Amino acid sequence: MSADRLIAYALRGWFLVALFFIFVPIIINFIYSFSPSRFPTLPLGGFSTGWYELILNEAPVPRAFGNSLKAGVIVAVISTFIGFAAAYTDYRYRFLGKNFYLALALLPPTIPVLILGLVMLMFLSRVSLVGELYSVVLAHVVYCIPFAMALIRLRLAQMNPDLESAAWNLGANSWRAMREVIVPFTLPSIFAALALTMAVSFDEYLIAFFVGGLTETLPVRVLALLQGQVSPRINAIGSVVFTISMSLVILAQILLLTRRSGGRSIAAGGK
Amino acid sequence: MTARKADKKPTWRLTRRKFLKGSAAAAALIAASSATRRVAWSEENTLSYLCWPGHGAPEVVEPFEQANNVKIIPKEYVGGEAMMALINQSDPGTYDVVLSDREYIVMMRDAGLIDEMDPNDYAFDDFWPEFQKMPGHWLNGKLYSVVLDFGYLGVVHNTDVISEKEASSYKVLWDPKLTGKVGQFDWYLPSMGNLSQYNGNKSPFDIDDAAFAKLRDTVFSLKPQVAGYHGIPDIFNALKNGDALAYQGIGDWITILLSAEGYPVTTTIPDEGGIQWTESLSLSTDGKKQDLAKKFIQYLTAPEGQVRVALKSSYWGSIPNKKGWTLMNDIKPNEATILRHRFDQRNVMDEYADGKITLRQLPEQQSIDDWSEVWNEYKNL
Amino acid sequence: MADKALTQPTAGTAARNVDGYALFWGLPLALWQLVFFVAPLVFLVVMTFWTVKNFRLTPDFDTVNWVNMFSKGYVIDTYFRTLWYGALGAVVCSVLAFPASYALAFKASPVVQRIGLFMLITPFFTSYLVRIYSWQAVVSDNGVLNNLLGVFGLGPFNILGTLLGTMVGYITLTLPLVILLQFFSLSGVDRNYIEAAQNLGCGRLRTVFLVIIPLAKTGIILAGTFAFILCFGDLVSPTSLGSSKPPTLSILIVDTVKQGNNWPRAAVVALMMVLTLIVVAFTAIFFAYRVKKEKT
Repeated sequence: MSADRLIAYALRGWFLVALFFIFVPIIINFIYSFSPSRFPTLPLGGFSTGWYELILNEAPVPRAFGNSLKAGVIVAVISTFIGFAAAYTDYRYRFLGKNFYLALALLPPTIPVLILGLVMLMFLSRVSLVGELYSVVLAHVVYCIPFAMALIRLRLAQMNPDLESAAWNLGANSWRAMREVIVPFTLPSIFAALALTMAVSFDEYLIAFFVGGLTETLPVRVLALLQGQVSPRINAIGSVVFTISMSLVILAQILLLTRRSGGRSIAAGGK
Repeated sequence: MTARKADKKPTWRLTRRKFLKGSAAAAALIAASSATRRVAWSEENTLSYLCWPGHGAPEVVEPFEQANNVKIIPKEYVGGEAMMALINQSDPGTYDVVLSDREYIVMMRDAGLIDEMDPNDYAFDDFWPEFQKMPGHWLNGKLYSVVLDFGYLGVVHNTDVISEKEASSYKVLWDPKLTGKVGQFDWYLPSMGNLSQYNGNKSPFDIDDAAFAKLRDTVFSLKPQVAGYHGIPDIFNALKNGDALAYQGIGDWITILLSAEGYPVTTTIPDEGGIQWTESLSLSTDGKKQDLAKKFIQYLTAPEGQVRVALKSSYWGSIPNKKGWTLMNDIKPNEATILRHRFDQRNVMDEYADGKITLRQLPEQQSIDDWSEVWNEYKNL
Repeated sequence: MADKALTQPTAGTAARNVDGYALFWGLPLALWQLVFFVAPLVFLVVMTFWTVKNFRLTPDFDTVNWVNMFSKGYVIDTYFRTLWYGALGAVVCSVLAFPASYALAFKASPVVQRIGLFMLITPFFTSYLVRIYSWQAVVSDNGVLNNLLGVFGLGPFNILGTLLGTMVGYITLTLPLVILLQFFSLSGVDRNYIEAAQNLGCGRLRTVFLVIIPLAKTGIILAGTFAFILCFGDLVSPTSLGSSKPPTLSILIVDTVKQGNNWPRAAVVALMMVLTLIVVAFTAIFFAYRVKKEKT
């Protein structure tokens, strides 16, 4: 018995070690962002919020933030819609060339972003679609669709296939069944897909660097700052983005939890 | 204008319209967004600037932006080849003003990427004489680029471990106490250039094949000393945290910032000679805002712009405008001392006069490919 | 029951039997990915036959890039090195992740699970670039880690610019994802099997290796594959933590583009990588979903 307990503690301890490893760079980043000196070493010689003031007052950073936000929202909406449509098609239909269709849907993440960015730039510049924010959106959607599709397809797999046909039998046409059965059922995964694709787009910098040209998203700005202006500005940006997205995630969690507690009885009944 | 654009574009390039016809599904979306985007672009008063990191930073361009009610949109690159790659991969006219290293000016001219400039537009009379008719900027008597700033490349070293006396020859890089501690700036041109000087080549980039073979051996023999191949942020980190104690192929533009923060690093130009880098401004052929672009170059090469460029936060550089020196000595005397821009003591122009400094240039007798191939093999050893 | 709906074809040729509803859901993906994913990939293949003169790309049909890249010893070396790095990264990460995912799946209460998952997702919101840059400060010769170890009279250890440095980056990139995927498949394992095994006198380790891992096989393989894909293509870790000493294929691509704008040669390398990854991905899927032959 006590051996069991010991093993359980060891395993939990290992999990904490793993978490610690994951958080080391994030903690360092936070600490460095308050460095008074440009080339910080630990321990810091003092405390300063100067880098935060700098990034807020330097036009390129807020501009890039705005670009990232815009691109992120549009990418999330488009790729979630396409991902949903593809997941539903996969769920409901069997057709010739379906394997190819699924490969189209799932292959992009297996291609390194460096190459995807390169290829996109070469191709989009041939057709004069390069160097604007929409170029970033076009490319990011390609990359994000698989994430959205995977999430929604997983949810659809949990659906009782009889539900949709039951709706048809009750006289609903396909569109109505979609609206009243499929969409409500997949709604949690749709929200998850929106959040995830937005996050992926928001953090992706290589594709955006290649196809964006003069239009910089936030991570591309970070890349530029990192390459040239080595300074804790990068850490300050990292911390701000982290804090904002964390607050959003926590907010979403709280919303989900309060909603879930309402529906808990059904879930509990299933168990 | 249109004709020139047409024949410069590879024939493979489809027109936007043709392409959109082909992909009906995406058409509506793209057309809509590109239309609105174009309107927004022309309404916004902007000037695009292809440059090394930091040249488009607010502390450099803000006065110009305010005076002309315009926004500078910088696109930053590291290394001349990266610049050529970017400019060749972009639509003509994407960049209004191009900042490049001297050696690429002739290539850009040959590719029809930059315009001839009128010397009377710029204050060459205020420049040090050495910079008034600088080779590489004037091609066949025509001006294609105005020099903005410059600096020297030699041995960068940690002064706690390597004294300036030791660093007075590139030989120090092979010193046993630097084994595994020599950093390499990951750009073949300056890094190999300095080593070519170590081999005794007076013009380090204009060497025959025998000398080039010897340079290859010299480069490869440095491998056991190498800590790593570094980009700019890696160099700062390595010098700061002791992962690298010496470099060749970089200079003051790195060490001034670090020593200002108290790190024991400095640049020494060895007796075998150092290399000079220059950054210069050109007008893009297809730029839509030629007048504004010209004004911007005038601003950057006038005294105030010069001081701001010299002391920009990404890296400091020496400046060619004597009136810029005067202004710096007036308003930023400490910085003028650090940059050795004082008239009353030994300054950067004296080193120039000593004949220790060679202009950096592209390989003369071999191709870029040959040189970078050696560098790639070196990295893979 | 749903079969009558399932047999409707979307890729009908004539307009005769085309179902607008099906097309509405089926077409967007096909169109978008054909235009913005397949077309660029085809273009990538085409471009490997182009030539570059003085930084300018010229459409051409020349095998010079293929010959050039494959005749260089270091390109081949780099290819196998990158394969090795990717495989090592995937294995190390999977092994390190497994006890953690196991703990989360079997030794944590639902609340702890939720918090744990949440903690695993958070790092995705700090730029990977920034995180790797922060690692530099930790693993440098005079960095945090060596200073800490110095207190105990250990070190200094040279990590930056070594394979170990690169691995630290790879694990930063992949660990959260691998734990998540392993966790999902572990938590899907039916506990009755585990209890049954234990009732039959199966030891702890044997239960893990003979019961749990085979049951969670799909997720474990997929997680490892994802880790391989990410490591194989990563540019940041081998550059910033491995100091390009020696380079990987991603670094080779960047160098090839930087030096002389040689996109066609970079395209050759890119194609090598894409083909490798597709083969790896399909092999992995084959093994992950292969139906078990022996049943007990």
